[in-house]
Amino acid sequence: MAKWGMVIDLDKCVGCQACTVACWEENNIPHGSAEDQRRRREIHWNKVISVSRGQYPNCNIELIPTPCMHCEQAPCVTVCPAKATYRRDDGIVVQNFRRCIGCRYCMVACPYNARSFNYRDQPEEAYHRLDPPPDRESWDPWPFPHRTRGVVEKCTFCFHRIDRGIKEKKNIGVEVVPACVEVCPSQARTFGDLDNPESQVSQLLKSRTIFRLREELGTKPKVVYLPR
Amino acid sequence: MKDAKKKPSRGLTMNRRSFLKVSTIVGAGIITGAGITTPEIMAAVSPKKKPPEPLLEKWVATSCLNCPASCATRVRVVNGKAVWITGNPLSRTSVGKTCPRAQIGLQVLYDPDRIKTPLKRTNHRKGRGIDPQWKPIPWEAALKEVDSRLKALRDQGQSHKLLLLHGLNTASNLDLIARFAVAYGTPNLVSGAALANEAEKAGRWMADGHYQEIAYDLPSTNYILAFGAGILESQNPLSRNLRMWGKIRRERPNRAKVVVIDPRLSLTAGKADEWIPIQPGTDGALALAMANVIIGEGLYDARFVQSRTAGFAEFRELAMAHYGVERVAGITGIRPDAIRRIAREFAQTRPAIAWAGNGVGRWPNGSYSSYAIYALNALVGSIDVPGGIIYQENPPYRELPGIVEDHRSKEGREKPPLDFHRTDIHPVAEVATNRVAESLLKGTPYPIEAAIGFNCNFNFSAPGTWVWDEALSKVPYYVHVAPYGSEMSGYADLLLPSTTFLEEWSYDHSPPGSGFAEVRIKQPAVEPVSDSRPTADLVFELARRQGGTVGRSFADIGGDIQGFVRYRTESLMPWKEFRAKGVWSGPSYRYCKYDRIFKTPSKKFEFASGNLERLWPDKGNSEESRNRLKYLPHHENIRFLGDPAMYPLLLLTYQPLLYMGAGSQNYPWAQSIYLVAHGVGWTNFAELNGETAKTMKIKDGDLLWVESSFKKIMARARVSEGVHPGVVCMARGQGHTAYGRWSKGIGVNPQDIMGVDYDRLSGQAAFSNTRIKVYKA
Repeated sequence: MAKWGMVIDLDKCVGCQACTVACWEENNIPHGSAEDQRRRREIHWNKVISVSRGQYPNCNIELIPTPCMHCEQAPCVTVCPAKATYRRDDGIVVQNFRRCIGCRYCMVACPYNARSFNYRDQPEEAYHRLDPPPDRESWDPWPFPHRTRGVVEKCTFCFHRIDRGIKEKKNIGVEVVPACVEVCPSQARTFGDLDNPESQVSQLLKSRTIFRLREELGTKPKVVYLPR
Repeated sequence: MKDAKKKPSRGLTMNRRSFLKVSTIVGAGIITGAGITTPEIMAAVSPKKKPPEPLLEKWVATSCLNCPASCATRVRVVNGKAVWITGNPLSRTSVGKTCPRAQIGLQVLYDPDRIKTPLKRTNHRKGRGIDPQWKPIPWEAALKEVDSRLKALRDQGQSHKLLLLHGLNTASNLDLIARFAVAYGTPNLVSGAALANEAEKAGRWMADGHYQEIAYDLPSTNYILAFGAGILESQNPLSRNLRMWGKIRRERPNRAKVVVIDPRLSLTAGKADEWIPIQPGTDGALALAMANVIIGEGLYDARFVQSRTAGFAEFRELAMAHYGVERVAGITGIRPDAIRRIAREFAQTRPAIAWAGNGVGRWPNGSYSSYAIYALNALVGSIDVPGGIIYQENPPYRELPGIVEDHRSKEGREKPPLDFHRTDIHPVAEVATNRVAESLLKGTPYPIEAAIGFNCNFNFSAPGTWVWDEALSKVPYYVHVAPYGSEMSGYADLLLPSTTFLEEWSYDHSPPGSGFAEVRIKQPAVEPVSDSRPTADLVFELARRQGGTVGRSFADIGGDIQGFVRYRTESLMPWKEFRAKGVWSGPSYRYCKYDRIFKTPSKKFEFASGNLERLWPDKGNSEESRNRLKYLPHHENIRFLGDPAMYPLLLLTYQPLLYMGAGSQNYPWAQSIYLVAHGVGWTNFAELNGETAKTMKIKDGDLLWVESSFKKIMARARVSEGVHPGVVCMARGQGHTAYGRWSKGIGVNPQDIMGVDYDRLSGQAAFSNTRIKVYKA
């Protein structure tokens, strides 16, 4: 079984946020409003965070794209009382909207702020497309149905793309990648099998020093960063 | 696919799953009665359950128009609805990539606030905030009205009193609009270019005679010195810049070095190797000090300078005599050792590029600063070489037949233009957008009777927005053509909804960047969303209705918009293939065309501009040395708007990446992540340096008045280390006062408080020389 992971090269990343927009678009994530942002109720599966350091004129900004880290020791999975969030055999941490009871333990547990909550029934206009109902058979081309109030959602590594790619015997990581990886204009993101030493991600990890976010927590994230 | 339902779902039994569904409902706070049945539960969880439709999927090769770069894209359309936009891998310019703005095309297309039908004004009072009291009218009535107005004007021999304005449009639309202007007979076709980067163009034109945007050969360069250039935010072609950034940093053995000189820590500066803050408006002086070091230490490319340039002796004398490093350090606020170090690095790490960006040109001295920076490239031999400056090639479209002109169109076009371009007021200018507003107000050189605006919004984007407000109130008849409303459309007598770029036929070509030529098609990905019409369709229709020579000028060019695109591009590629691929690419770029690339009197790169001398000859002034200076790259002290004693700070604006060039900002995806460096969206700030804020006792988040000698606006303070102590930075693109549920009332518009000033040579509007003060509200 493959172990899917992502490598993000912060030296190549240009902070354009194409990943963020592509993610909303691919996964039909309802958009928010100014009011939602003020109340911290916008839904992000991927967010580019900024960290500024130093004092004028010796200062800098680091922009860090953060999808879900798909931790090997995922605190969200441990705490979920409804088993709505679980780790697949290939390591992807998924949220099942229909099992989620909306308790938000997982949001508290996640050290990466990777999860969002649907505070309301989303109005029709908040989606950029109308989806068929949430039957599993329609998950292939249009993976995500309308949300209901009171469910938590998060990045899936675009597992619908991967699952279909495997079915179609495609080379995952090369021909089939998550939406954020596909659109990244500077090609800062790479996706692939961390267990396969020949994969592009494994090669990249060998080539430079690497770091993971909040490594000290022992969550073992499968999103790895290459510093500048 | 069918049997997917029968599989156990992730190891859980259906019973447990159903149980959890009930929990979901309880969790959501809905009280459920006993004996609830499964279908009811399903209905509660997914209220819109209906049998899935069969999926009809197609991919359409087209291109973007959310900024002038018009990158090639592919649109995935499912059951008639566009659901995904991605780059076209056949484009060698953007290499299959786009910036996020291309993806936001979906929200441009499906913007719920788009104009749905032609609207006629019923309120005759015009002004900001005054409701036009629109009344929907049929297309036929609208077109008839415009046509009769135009006909009457032309029949009276007043065709020059028609003013055509345009903002961001496709290349084919612009070709048609320009053709209409000539055939109808007006000299007043005014673009928004002089609100963008005309000064940079003029500066380079002085050196090599190319009045156009320049291309930088990014993939092969080793050193980029960016003066006020937002390479990763606002410089075109953005998607190519983004792609090449990845390439030059980590995809080749030698990593290119990037140094950014800017009063603000832009995203580009943040991602570069070095950020050097500079006293605003002194980029030209810095470039000349670098020239001083490079020449003084003999680091320049002597062979190139000797054989391919003219005027070097004069330039050397100027740089050596007046731009010593110590003196310039005083002007720019950059330490002398830093200037020397950068100059040496630049000269010794070849090929190197000195890039004059938007931040350089938007000053009264913009074209000379651009000239000075451009001269650095010649000093190190970076002209038309791999990794240096390259000259964009244009696609060989099929030539259009000559425009049929009668005496009316000839007489009309001989009248002086409203923007005074190529007159003593703006000697080098091709267009001086903001001058038009002043001319309208004063009625000089003659009053305008009718105006048509094609997707422009100068009442929002031009410095001194109120001047446009007053000017347009005075225009007797104004027709606005755009997919969405705007501040400017609020002054229209007739508002005609045009289609967006995802619903119409067009062609577009590469803006400077790649070197080689590239043409992209635009073809409708979906049916027009509302009762809107393509702009080109409208121009064809107006010409046809005008009849006579105007009609005849549009007769043999394909018949309609699709035919026109085909007519122009079929010489490049078979029509079917072009539609399928979406992109035509020219032959690879050829470097070192020194025998024919310089369009100057000496046929060389000129350090002293012969072009300018020809166009703007000296009228025999007594001060000999001063007379020559105007033909040389030099630093002029800035003329500020506002007394420094009363207005101690300077207002600098910038364009974030998610600034949508088409003039509307009504897109939640863009709004939500508008200011990535601050981690927020849906607003803009008055960004202040930490020390400045401290002395003024301003804290992060305070509500401030930002006041110039003209107007004041209220904005929230953002204390940031990445700002020069003497300036307040504000992001442009916010502060819409008209139109759009997701843009109206969001943030403030810094152009509202700017004064009107120009770079004299190019007519470029000066955005950056307005002085301000800030205080707590």
